[in-house]
Amino acid sequence: MSTQAGPPPMVQAAGASKWFGDLVAVSDVSFSIGAGVTALLGPNGAGKSTMLRMMCGLARPSNGSVTVLGKDPRSDVSVLGRIGMAPQQESLLDHLSGREFVELAAQLHHLQCPGDAARQAIQTVELDPDDTRRLSTYSKGMRQRIKLAQAIVHDPLVIALDEPLTGLDPRQRREMIELFHRLGSEGKCVIVSSHVLDEVERFGSRVLVMAQGRLAAEGDFREIRNLMDDRPLRISIRTDQPRELAIALLDRGVISGCRLENTDLVVVDTTDPAAFRRAVAPVARDRNVSLLELRPLDDDLESVFRYLVTQ
Amino acid sequence: MNLAVYRVILRTQLSPARLLVLAGLSGVAILLAFIARAADDTVEVATQTIANFGINIFAAFIALSLGSAALGNLVEDRTLVYLWLRPVSRHSIATAAMAAVLTVVAPILVVVMTVAAVVTGVDDLVAATAVATALAVFAYSGIFLALGLRFKRSLLIGLGYIAIWELLMSRLGDWFARLSIRSYPMSILSDATDVSMRLADRSTLASYIVPLAVGVAGLLYTSWRLNRTEID
Repeated sequence: MSTQAGPPPMVQAAGASKWFGDLVAVSDVSFSIGAGVTALLGPNGAGKSTMLRMMCGLARPSNGSVTVLGKDPRSDVSVLGRIGMAPQQESLLDHLSGREFVELAAQLHHLQCPGDAARQAIQTVELDPDDTRRLSTYSKGMRQRIKLAQAIVHDPLVIALDEPLTGLDPRQRREMIELFHRLGSEGKCVIVSSHVLDEVERFGSRVLVMAQGRLAAEGDFREIRNLMDDRPLRISIRTDQPRELAIALLDRGVISGCRLENTDLVVVDTTDPAAFRRAVAPVARDRNVSLLELRPLDDDLESVFRYLVTQ
Repeated sequence: MNLAVYRVILRTQLSPARLLVLAGLSGVAILLAFIARAADDTVEVATQTIANFGINIFAAFIALSLGSAALGNLVEDRTLVYLWLRPVSRHSIATAAMAAVLTVVAPILVVVMTVAAVVTGVDDLVAATAVATALAVFAYSGIFLALGLRFKRSLLIGLGYIAIWELLMSRLGDWFARLSIRSYPMSILSDATDVSMRLADRSTLASYIVPLAVGVAGLLYTSWRLNRTEID
């Protein structure tokens, strides 16, 4: 894995692995992250949360190391003052109000004016600092935002956010992403995990892709997206003339193979999904073939990541 | 000790349901004291009542209920992360949790049991009850605080510990009795009233030192565990 040139990395993993009994959650992952927004992308169970937990010292690597600002967050409590984290779980200290919850974080970070800091952080995530309701009454979106507020209340240098957009409406998502970019442009290292490809596209250009506990890809989002788009795709086509359609698509050169499954079903392989999408309807029209259904068989995120792992 | 952590945990301890149970048990304690007062051999019955109901049941179960929940509930609902992920020493979190438990448990138990002792009319029992209850509460709170952090079903395990070890195994012999917390505060009561009770034959010094040592050991284990544990 390449290391960014220039200033020293703010977060660095060196051969980090984590296993729970026989289950390997993270396997030999190495990377370096500096200031700005970095997306940690991967399907559920890929090891993203475990990776974030190791970054924040919540879990100890079984092998290798994870350092933040050059220190081990597990053994050096002082570095926790420079880290802010919003964990994935929804549970909060429900007997507190939002203000009390964020103020608690400010107090534990030894801020001089915890009340003011809490008020400002709550306003930053567009909640009402004067809302005295208990957290137990908060909606999912509000809970996500108050988690973010407690993560940034002490103005940390490294901010780890585990699936922070879950439960937010489109407007709130847009505003949160703007906030991530703002924090990133202020020189903070913002690491945002997500399993939603399109969501990550808006986070920024740097991406770490995790799959099956391994680092599957790293770098510019567009390059990775192209790699994803270039992968072979298997598509099931339901039609009244499967044989004729398959021959026509082979003639056109947009599929690399086909298999007749039934009297009305053919499964085709393509290495150029974009060209296939452009060609399939005109080809069917020209041959007077009715297209009843097109269904990608391996377009889920899991298969995308599986493909990346093999590259 | 971290005051912010102390206040947060203290608030979780003061649920209406728990306060109701405490009030109910307090009423039972006072009622039993009146019954003991009416007994023919008041001194013996009162001492036995304070020891068996106050120390063995009341103190143990209340300390279990609140002690195991202090950090255990935070582990169970995965909110310990919001205390742990801060630049505060793990020992200060453990101390704050212990202090929060004692803030609720100690005054209620010591006051109620002392009032119960006063109600029995046995003067020698009053001060001894206050001290014995306070020591028992400290020891049990330390143990159950650690238990709550260590085990997921700490309430169940704690109930098993009280029922099997404290109440049954301790009767199997002197060696077992030495490992039973209740034998030490019971010895304080026995010394004060000269009422002979099974298990209550620890030395005076041990009766004071051992419960304190057990409470401190529980607190130290909790600190160590907070340092070692992985936070979900």
